[in-house]
Amino acid sequence: MNSFLRKNTVLLITLADITALFIAAAQGMEKKDFVITLLRGLAVGSITFLVASGFSLIFGLLDVLNLAHGTLFMIGAYIGWTVFVRPDTFVDLLTPLALILSGFALRDVYPLLATRIRLGLSMKRILPWALILVSILIFSYILPRYPISFWDIGTYGQSPVTYSFLADQGTRLPAQVALFTEISAPLALIGLLFASIIGAFGISLFNIETQQQFKLNWKNFIGFAILLIVALFVFIFNESLTTALTGLGSNWLFLIAVVVATLSGAGLGALIESTLIRPLYIRPIYQLMLTLGMSAIGIEIVRAIWGRPEFVMPKPAFFNGSSEVCPAANFADWWAHNCSTILLLDGRVRVYNEIFIPIIGVVVLISIWMLLQRTRLGMVIRAGVQDREMVEALGINVRRVFTMVFSLGVGLAALGGILAAPSMGLSNAMGESLFLNALIALAIGGLTNYPGAALGSVLVGLIQQFIIKYGQIGIAIPFTDIIFKPTPPIVPASTVLLMVIILLILPNGLLGKKE
Amino acid sequence: MEYILDVQNIHSFIGQYHILQGVNVRVPKGSITALLGRNGAGKTTTLKSILGLTPPREGKVIYEGKEVQGMRSFDIASMGIGFVPEHRAIFRDLTVEENLKIAERSKGEYIRKKEFIFDLFPDLKRLITLPGTSLSGGQQQMLAIARALVADNHLLLIDEPSEGLAPVIIEHMMKAIQLLSKDSTIVLVEQNFLVASQLAEYYVIIEEGRSVQEGSMKDLANDKAAIHRYLGAA
Repeated sequence: MNSFLRKNTVLLITLADITALFIAAAQGMEKKDFVITLLRGLAVGSITFLVASGFSLIFGLLDVLNLAHGTLFMIGAYIGWTVFVRPDTFVDLLTPLALILSGFALRDVYPLLATRIRLGLSMKRILPWALILVSILIFSYILPRYPISFWDIGTYGQSPVTYSFLADQGTRLPAQVALFTEISAPLALIGLLFASIIGAFGISLFNIETQQQFKLNWKNFIGFAILLIVALFVFIFNESLTTALTGLGSNWLFLIAVVVATLSGAGLGALIESTLIRPLYIRPIYQLMLTLGMSAIGIEIVRAIWGRPEFVMPKPAFFNGSSEVCPAANFADWWAHNCSTILLLDGRVRVYNEIFIPIIGVVVLISIWMLLQRTRLGMVIRAGVQDREMVEALGINVRRVFTMVFSLGVGLAALGGILAAPSMGLSNAMGESLFLNALIALAIGGLTNYPGAALGSVLVGLIQQFIIKYGQIGIAIPFTDIIFKPTPPIVPASTVLLMVIILLILPNGLLGKKE
Repeated sequence: MEYILDVQNIHSFIGQYHILQGVNVRVPKGSITALLGRNGAGKTTTLKSILGLTPPREGKVIYEGKEVQGMRSFDIASMGIGFVPEHRAIFRDLTVEENLKIAERSKGEYIRKKEFIFDLFPDLKRLITLPGTSLSGGQQQMLAIARALVADNHLLLIDEPSEGLAPVIIEHMMKAIQLLSKDSTIVLVEQNFLVASQLAEYYVIIEEGRSVQEGSMKDLANDKAAIHRYLGAA
């Protein structure tokens, strides 16, 4: 018991302080306000945690500060929105995307191919560039001509804002089926496949290690085969798939949107790590510039595709009911009517924003914890965070674990994005502010410490929400008549202040370990 | 003589520093071979170069008849090389058992080797659930060696096993290493000449990044001049 106290002094003091603050806060406001603010804080904390935990896993194992993490969070939200509001666009995109990726799925085959090519030194230098150039040319010819039913950010009536609004009202614009008119279908499909393969081959030529052991077997072709099948299947059954998806209830569609956003995030992460980050492990500064650049590019891409205006993502019907009995009086009532709000201590609580999101946050927290503690992959990650070289010396392919962790981290960020979209709305700036929150949370909790990321995120969320609440009701300063109302700019400042105080006392954060 | 490992004239760099400038090490199968030399001579770098952790820029590393230089570290290690690094490199966030399990290269290896390992180091058995942080120096060294025994390794690279340990524990460690040499070949880096001379059959002296002398340990023990010149010991 004594040793437990000694080892966890810091944590206990922190928890005691937080409890004291809460009791003080609870005195100063009505009970229902307190509960709602608490739940909101937890919700913001959960979303922050999804970004922060992925960032910290990546930083811990790979030593890569992924400055694009906030942008990837935002991209997750926009991808999820597309699946949810425009399933027809999503279905149309599947075939070309699967074809473009199929080339990269063959990456294990290229080194073998490369050793077969005997060329002069100068040709060897030119070859990858030539291949990539040809691939880009083919892509730039086919992709603009490939038929995809799309919105139009130029005309208001066809813009994402309008589609979102209509979907929220329960109507969807009759989707226009895009047809192959400018290019013949077989040419487009084969062209994309070809361009993808030579492009991926070209890229793989840049980082071929001198001597590798390669045995070709059927496993190297699984990913390629799956992608081809997906591409063809979606191409053939395009229309029926679109009708089926549009006809699905919004609950199922939302679930699909969450899964697709998370998986695309994970896939994007794997792609970024294996093509862009991998050559730069020996040049940390370049990594910073690369991820910073990716962040800016990502934002511009989102602006180009989805436009600048903010828009909302409708909530799934499960959390959006509004019959006469709403707000629901209790959870059984809510379950029966799916009200969007529920009464807790006479305060109206939004079920999606303030109850569902924190629950998902806890679920993710526990599942990643289990992954880290109970699986072999988790064991390798924990060991690798401390000593990569030794893990490699045991005969473990750390590089492959790197890709998995990067993909996991970005997948978590994308999950955060799509979950936050119905409550926060979608905007070009949603990633930046949240990323800043996540960084502060990590500094508070300890940079590479998983429980620390959770604790820091919750603290950041709570502080922000309580300050916002006090901005409305004011704090009565003791022994005076003054009522202090924090203004909105104090909200971000307050978390930074908390960070500064904690870092002054504990330079490694609350749960960080000394190096 | 059959050599399990044949390092031929390797040159390795750390950053821009030319650390190894031509090291030759031949390790007869089933022997204990000691790498001797002063601090900073390049002994540890030689071990790391063999494993590809510090990949040599020139020269050859031939392990079991196969050139392995330029291969990725985990591929080299998977061919059956166990590594016990300087300062042990125990994983702090893993329990003792996890520290052993992580070394598995195929499922169930740990279960199969468990008994053998705990016979060799009975201390570890009762520490099994403790985190790696809570071990003493001697226990950490035992764990580091045990970790290299989990997978089927034919060659063990052991770096400074006696460093910072009490004499009683050094003796225990020496017995363990002697026992291990029955089944596997061992390359030992050792500062403590007494320990090295009792354990090893062969030696290679490394001086300023070059291998300068090799032979059988018995001859070296009588060659006081060489000991004095290269090792600074009486």
